[in-house]
Amino acid sequence: MNRKWNQKVIKTLFKKEMLDVLRDKKTVIMMLVVPVILYPLIFVVALQVVASVATSMETHTYNIVVDCPDDGRLMSYLEAYETSETTEDLTQETSELSSEEGLSDDNASNYSLKLIDKKDIQDYTAALQKEEIDVYVTAEMKDGKMNYIMYYLSSAANSGYAVDIVGEVISVLQKDLTKQEIEAAGLEVSDILEPVSFEYKNIASNEQSMGSVLGMVVPFMLIISLLMGTMYPAIDTTAGERERGTLETVLTLPVTNRQLITSKFLTVALIGIISALLNILSIGGIGLYMFKVMDLGAAAGVGAGIRLASFVPAILITIVVVLVFSLFISAITMCITAFAKSYKEANNYITPLMLVVLFTGYIGFLPNIELTRGMALVPVANICLLIKNLMLFKLDYTLIFLVLVSNVFYAALAILFLSKIYDSESILFGEGKTGLQLFEKRSNMKKGGVPTTGDAWFVIMLAIVLIVYLGGILQLKYGIFGVFGTQMIILLVPLLMAIYTKKDLRKTYSFHKTGILSFLGGILLIIGTLFVGILVSAVMSMIFPESAGAVTDAFDGIMDNGVWISLLVIAITPAICEEMMFRGYIYSAMKNRYKTVTAILIVAAVFGVYHMSIVKFLTTGLLGGMLCYAVYATGSIFPSMLMHCLNNMISVLVYYYPNEIGKVLPFLASETLTLGDLLIISGGGVLLMAAGILILNRVRKNRIAKETAGENIAKEAAGEN
Amino acid sequence: MIHARNLVKTFTRNEKKNKKVEFNAVDGISFEVGEGEIVGILGPNGAGKTTLLRMLSKLMKPTAGGVSITVNGEEITDDIEIKRHIGYLSGNTKLYGRLSARELLTMIGTICKMPDEEIEKRIEEISQLLDMEKFIDNRIEKLSTGQTQRASIARCLIHSPEIYIFDEPTLGLDIISSAAIIEFMKGEREKGKTVLYSTHYMEEAEYLCDRIIMLHKGKIICDLTPEDLKKQTGTDSIRDAFNTLIRQEDMGNES
Repeated sequence: MNRKWNQKVIKTLFKKEMLDVLRDKKTVIMMLVVPVILYPLIFVVALQVVASVATSMETHTYNIVVDCPDDGRLMSYLEAYETSETTEDLTQETSELSSEEGLSDDNASNYSLKLIDKKDIQDYTAALQKEEIDVYVTAEMKDGKMNYIMYYLSSAANSGYAVDIVGEVISVLQKDLTKQEIEAAGLEVSDILEPVSFEYKNIASNEQSMGSVLGMVVPFMLIISLLMGTMYPAIDTTAGERERGTLETVLTLPVTNRQLITSKFLTVALIGIISALLNILSIGGIGLYMFKVMDLGAAAGVGAGIRLASFVPAILITIVVVLVFSLFISAITMCITAFAKSYKEANNYITPLMLVVLFTGYIGFLPNIELTRGMALVPVANICLLIKNLMLFKLDYTLIFLVLVSNVFYAALAILFLSKIYDSESILFGEGKTGLQLFEKRSNMKKGGVPTTGDAWFVIMLAIVLIVYLGGILQLKYGIFGVFGTQMIILLVPLLMAIYTKKDLRKTYSFHKTGILSFLGGILLIIGTLFVGILVSAVMSMIFPESAGAVTDAFDGIMDNGVWISLLVIAITPAICEEMMFRGYIYSAMKNRYKTVTAILIVAAVFGVYHMSIVKFLTTGLLGGMLCYAVYATGSIFPSMLMHCLNNMISVLVYYYPNEIGKVLPFLASETLTLGDLLIISGGGVLLMAAGILILNRVRKNRIAKETAGENIAKEAAGEN
Repeated sequence: MIHARNLVKTFTRNEKKNKKVEFNAVDGISFEVGEGEIVGILGPNGAGKTTLLRMLSKLMKPTAGGVSITVNGEEITDDIEIKRHIGYLSGNTKLYGRLSARELLTMIGTICKMPDEEIEKRIEEISQLLDMEKFIDNRIEKLSTGQTQRASIARCLIHSPEIYIFDEPTLGLDIISSAAIIEFMKGEREKGKTVLYSTHYMEEAEYLCDRIIMLHKGKIICDLTPEDLKKQTGTDSIRDAFNTLIRQEDMGNES
């Protein structure tokens, strides 16, 4: 009875959710209009464009100038093109050999050449640049042979095509001449030119060839369409419900959280499945249509004689996989959107999720990545790989089972998490303080204070993306100055964000005065950290021997610019820019929300990740953590700037003056260290760190004592008034 | 009948720097509301009215203390069962705009374990009572404010609850709409239902309530009939009594 009742409640709620979602125009548009109308429409337009491009190609005439006064052979070959309609006839006339290759392909028949008198052209480079002519050919004798030189403009598409054609004409000429020579010597042409012959035989069945194509397309299509399909219902049933104020209404009903979530989850999953199926049907239909009408299958060597029946087991398992995967995607999406209070906010949250899902899906397409038992546990990628395998008729039931079970497991975890969210009153009724401020109206932003954690994570993401793309390009193009540019990104992204969100810059960046003791403690701490870092990086290089080399290579490239520039770019600039971002912006945001230890650990981890190297992760993480501790203890960013500068400066100096440094601190410049050396160094490092931390801790205590005293004085003063 | 026993609700508020400040929005509240009784909850903003009513209607879990109801002489403590006997209405309980009132009422009736025929009968009854026949099959988002308000009341009524909990039900309504709600509450009292509601309108409370509970900073500062309240504070109106009591409390806290 009880179970029956439970089902009835879920069914009723589910019916309500479905009605509610299906009557929403946005969902229906995403679900129906996109696959059923938009895809075929795009397809039709694309066909039109392709067709019109093809026609313009057919009628195209390329302008050629030939300037070979002593040689008429090429001219006569080219003239044949000028008059003939199709090139195939010509090649057959001129040479039996050449007709089998090169010029006989499809593109060759779509153009004609126009030979322009060289007298009309004074300056061939200018004419090429202005695209008045497409190719300029001249000839000279070189080592007793005629050498044709073709001038063209690679940045102009037509010139590129034309030069290929002329090149092919010349190779035809070359072969015909060879043939003549051989015949003149009384030898058999084919024996000389083709002493051996070979051919390709593809043993893959038509179904397998087709499957390999499908295996590339289907998984990605499924992931994207499921994601798009679940996105709107997920937002609608969670954030949308809160935005419309019906959440409190539904909570007054005599239903359990589990029933509520189950019904919402089923709704999202069902809509996701429907829209995924519609997408597949639509794209599949277009694909079939293309196969039939355009006969592409025959051209690609697949499609002919495919027995669709052989795909039935793969398709059946794929459907099961899609069902399970839609559970997973729905649960994950809902977990994210449940935190949002409005549609707009939910949309902001879902974009990073989409990127992560697509990226993980992309792993499935990397060559050499096979579905193993380990990969079967990686969400999204496992689905891609499994479907790929299925399309290639590789049915490993253990792996299929593992993929399905792991997806169900993750979905269950996500639902558990979701019910935690729906149990949390602070999320359901709360105002929420972690949101991203960037998307609020600027006039609504309060002045002062420190950034929110949402802001901080946004800045981290944006900075990393900019560093990878923009910074990467800058460094490739401008070398060491690109490194400087990267540092500017690190400085400016948080700074502009802080200014835009009207933060208190002094507080955000901990620009506070501090005593000499802070710097002394900082110096001891950083030297100690550097020593301990030697041990850590030695251990890491042992674990990841390949990556260690790459790190030094990159480093050498930057160092080639002389000691002063290196110091500026590698020691001083990061000390300012990186400190302001990590120990300034991010730390102030984190410490405002989390406990100090958590905040420092987050900053350390982010700093480690930001260096984008597994080998360096622990050392940079340790460094980041210690720098952060210095800011925490002294309440000022300046000691950590000095520490960072010192740390980087030592590596620069070791590079430039290994001998001098070697005399003072031999182990820094030494290439090989024994385990004993390492232990002694890191032991000394730990002692130095301890001394530094002791000093900094004293600074902290003094500072707090001073602050409370100051507060008391202020209070007393207020009391007297 | 509804019983609140020593209810406490603690929230944490992030104040400046690292300090997370805990405070009791509701701080040890006990009372009972009997059958055929209307009790008004008064108090300034932030006194804990909404939090208290949310706990009573089982939307929020109390940090300490408990809630139970008595229906037909039987005491009920289970959260879900309590919800089945409560009709809760507040400014935050909006209706599903994309459903019609009839669809919404049918859904709630089903979830409250009503048989289908009874739901139909009850919907007819309510739509006559609240004059909803004209728009009961329209989508709620297309209704006027007054119609939506009636649909909201219908939502609380559909499962014939024994107890009504209303959080500022007349807030922002015109005179006609709020009069309808007041009349409705009076009618339910005649039927022997338990009514508990919060309001900022003193005259309304004075006219309607059998008892007035005043909250201040999460605590009950008085629980009296309107007459006794005026007598005790030596004032002519509930408005004056309210101001006097709040002032007394604030002065008492400071000294």
